[in-house]
Amino acid sequence: MDIQLKRGLLDVCVLAAIKDEDSYGYKIIKDLGPYIQLSESTLYTILKRLESAGMLTVRSAEHDGRLRKYYHITDAGLMRIEDFKEDWKEIMTVYSFVTKEEGND
Amino acid sequence: MTKQEFLDRLKAGLSGLPEADIEEQLRFYSEIIDDRMEDGLSEEESVRQTGNPDEIASKIISETPISRLVKEKVKNRQPMGALAIILLVLGFPLWFPLLITFFSVAFGIFVTIFAILFSLWVTDFAMALSSPGLFVGAIVYFAHANVTQGFLSLGASFAMAGISVLMFFGCKALSRFTIRLLKGSALGIRKLILGREN
Repeated sequence: MDIQLKRGLLDVCVLAAIKDEDSYGYKIIKDLGPYIQLSESTLYTILKRLESAGMLTVRSAEHDGRLRKYYHITDAGLMRIEDFKEDWKEIMTVYSFVTKEEGND
Repeated sequence: MTKQEFLDRLKAGLSGLPEADIEEQLRFYSEIIDDRMEDGLSEEESVRQTGNPDEIASKIISETPISRLVKEKVKNRQPMGALAIILLVLGFPLWFPLLITFFSVAFGIFVTIFAILFSLWVTDFAMALSSPGLFVGAIVYFAHANVTQGFLSLGASFAMAGISVLMFFGCKALSRFTIRLLKGSALGIRKLILGREN
């Protein structure tokens, strides 16, 4: 997949992974696994970017005698997902135009 | 590799970055390895799936803004003595032109590389365009019963078409190689600031 396109998609994927309940690094990678490939170092960069953009907050909680970081989506993060859905409708319109040309050949 | 070995190698690979950044990175990877083990994987396998610590360190460094690296470097520098400051001021007419020269040469090299690539692409484009032109020329020559010139023109047309196709792939490969080289040098510059070999 195109790198720029994937970068944009990954942001939304990570937000979607913490949308319903707070999640942590390994679980995010595991949940996204079947859909899109994501390395730990990439996830770290994305989480940092989303945090500084105010789309998620981080808290440390004890788990099994060690600290684990949990990521919580903010309203801005939820909004980002909604924006993505809107964008996607437009992209699908363009997609149907592009593939229609192919069908005529 | 054990988890501790992984973290030690990652830490070594990140030395020179701000201390807080290193701590945060180590905690992040430590947590993920712990979670893999909790998920039922062996320590060895958990570390293996997490990746190669040297490659991860390189990736982290290449994503760190140069300004951040320089800031950290300057922060850790010893305060300058009076003599050093005097020498710095007195040496200004010497080191300042040298500094400008250095950046000018670096800039010149960049421009030259791109100019060469650009001219190769233009040459290729011109040859590709000349092919149909020569072909039309050949037809005109044949129509005027000038067979020798006609065959010459036809042959040149085919040759140009062939060379331009070959050259297209050559240009493409060279452009790719250059971009990879520039990306590599971006990492190299960062490592230079960190004062690291390779």
